[in-house]
Amino acid sequence: MKNLLKRFAAPVLLCSVATSAFADNSYTGAPRTFLFNPAQDVCFKDTSQYKKEGPYTIGFSNAGLGDSWRVVALHSMMKAAAENKDKIAKLMITDAGHDDSKQVADIQDLVSRGVDLLIVSANTAQALDPAVTRVMEQGIPVVMVDRRIESDNFVTFVTASDAISGRLFAQWIVEKLGGKGNVVMLGGQAGSSPSEIRMKTAMQVFNQYPDIKIIDTVYGDWSPVKSKQVMQSEIQKFGDQIDAVWSAHGLMTPGSIEAFVEAGWADGTIPPHTTADVNGPMQLALQHKVPLLEVGYPPAMAGEAIKSALAVLNGAQVPCITEINSQIAVTEGDNTASIDTKLGIKDMVVLDGPADLLVTGGMGPDYDPTTFSIDYPQ
Amino acid sequence: MTAISQRRSGAFVRRNGSQFIVIGLLVLLAITGFIVSDRFATVANIMNILEQSVTLALVSLGQTLTILTGGIDLSVGSMISLASVLLSGITNGDANMVAPAIAIVLALGIFVGLLNAAAVVWLRVHPLIVTLGMGAVLQGITLLYTMGPAGKMPLGFDWLAFGRVLGLPVGAVIAVALFLLTAAFLRYARLGRYIYAIGDDAIGAKLMGLPRTKVLLFVYAFSGFMASLTAIFLVSRFGVGQPYTGANFTLTSITPVVVGGTLLAGGRGGVLGTLLGVYLVSLLNNVLNFMDISSHYQLIVQGLIVIIAVSVYVEKKRTL
Repeated sequence: MKNLLKRFAAPVLLCSVATSAFADNSYTGAPRTFLFNPAQDVCFKDTSQYKKEGPYTIGFSNAGLGDSWRVVALHSMMKAAAENKDKIAKLMITDAGHDDSKQVADIQDLVSRGVDLLIVSANTAQALDPAVTRVMEQGIPVVMVDRRIESDNFVTFVTASDAISGRLFAQWIVEKLGGKGNVVMLGGQAGSSPSEIRMKTAMQVFNQYPDIKIIDTVYGDWSPVKSKQVMQSEIQKFGDQIDAVWSAHGLMTPGSIEAFVEAGWADGTIPPHTTADVNGPMQLALQHKVPLLEVGYPPAMAGEAIKSALAVLNGAQVPCITEINSQIAVTEGDNTASIDTKLGIKDMVVLDGPADLLVTGGMGPDYDPTTFSIDYPQ
Repeated sequence: MTAISQRRSGAFVRRNGSQFIVIGLLVLLAITGFIVSDRFATVANIMNILEQSVTLALVSLGQTLTILTGGIDLSVGSMISLASVLLSGITNGDANMVAPAIAIVLALGIFVGLLNAAAVVWLRVHPLIVTLGMGAVLQGITLLYTMGPAGKMPLGFDWLAFGRVLGLPVGAVIAVALFLLTAAFLRYARLGRYIYAIGDDAIGAKLMGLPRTKVLLFVYAFSGFMASLTAIFLVSRFGVGQPYTGANFTLTSITPVVVGGTLLAGGRGGVLGTLLGVYLVSLLNNVLNFMDISSHYQLIVQGLIVIIAVSVYVEKKRTL
């Protein structure tokens, strides 16, 4: 009940106060992944073959909803479509309910209905590959967002860097543990690209350190409830042998921290965790003094996908991977040699805000996902 | 009308009435599609619907036979998941391994079906519980084998899912052929007629000395085989097997069976009704997509259709 009250009574003002503090130390320039890319050339695609006159019909095949990140992402896309009403005649949205079969059928149906461009957030990277590849073969450009397919058969993939998240999470844990200790990997949905890429890139880092041991790999399905269950059994199994929890996203982190709290871990003794975007784990970390690293994965990328789609239909050159900036923040005193950031978790958290608030949502201070409604072209 | 002619027409409705209802609904949906979009009645869209219906058709065909005996197979979803990861895991991109891998998963489907039937017959546990338990066992084995996508299929294997034969989707042609063969088997083969007899009146069938054990071994083995065949088509469509690929099929495989007029109590119905039920579900999803209706409503509509279908047919059995 208290949670419910918090959720509905959360004063919007606090949001804006908190985000302004966050803005001081945040970075908004060219993508860091671009600046720090050691390669001399960056992949760009010529899209002149897709150039056509508007207004356009755009299809969006969504993997599904079911967590707060995906709800904000969908709203961000609707908002971007509404802001480009003059260029977009229709945005058709389907939702596959996290079912690969349904999403393949949805994609076929959207193509049947006649789209100029298709945006896809693939439920799983491999299973959607043949269907998306076929759409490209028919000459319809595909923009991937958040979740890509296995192959490169798309025009651009709009994302924040999963690889950066995965590696920075891992490197920070290594440095927090002094290069030695036991780590539990808490993945998202098995098979989905954000989860798989973050885990794969994290392992590339962990593998450099022979004394870091991955004692178990579990999946929380992007759900705090499921994550709490799986972490409860991990704690039963390994107890205080767990030195750190590598969590693929903030949707899972609160479940893990709560599991430690309920298992009797005192404030200040819970092992370091990683997180992204979500308010709840930041609140819990400050309350229970948990060392926490946040590397954002902003749902605003879905709105960016509309902008990329319009660029493609305008025949503009686009990067093969359109990465948007992630903010990097840690709890006080938990900067390490490599992860040294001015942005603190205390700057990002909305202390009295709802636990499932996405502080990186980019929807403005008045946004409330439960009442959001916008007149987008449909 | 004489009592006899009334009984005859009653029997006709009982046999075919549900199929007329489904055909009526199919026509209604098609008309709705025409009205909503001029792109609905294109060849490309009709091929899409046929292609999308293949996997549901295959798994529901097996399910129909278990339900006709008064049983049910709730292990099909997990069987599909296990068969799909084994198929792509064993094949792992090697074209020479495709045929052995297919043989292995089909044999495994039959074996699991035989185990289900054995537990029903000799342990005397209700099929609902046996197959529910088996489903959990198979899902556990699947996750022990792999927690994510396993292996991959060689190039060209997607022909099964996306290829055309005589201008029609390959899978749809195979599915319709299997339905016709099974319908003929149920009508003309002795074993086929026993399936109805046992579902209609198990005790009577036993008194008449019908081979219940043999029939149950056959229908559950067939259901397992069809689940594995479904997995082969899914892997062809996705290019890979995944540990939860079949999860949704357990319940959705029952929908077309009951919508097509097969009674959950067994003994009445048939596979052609199921095929119509499959097309109804596929067409419904397609038309709702064309109407821009959220998939959340699609779930509600599907659920309501199942409840209405079952209640209509239950009522019919009571009054006839």
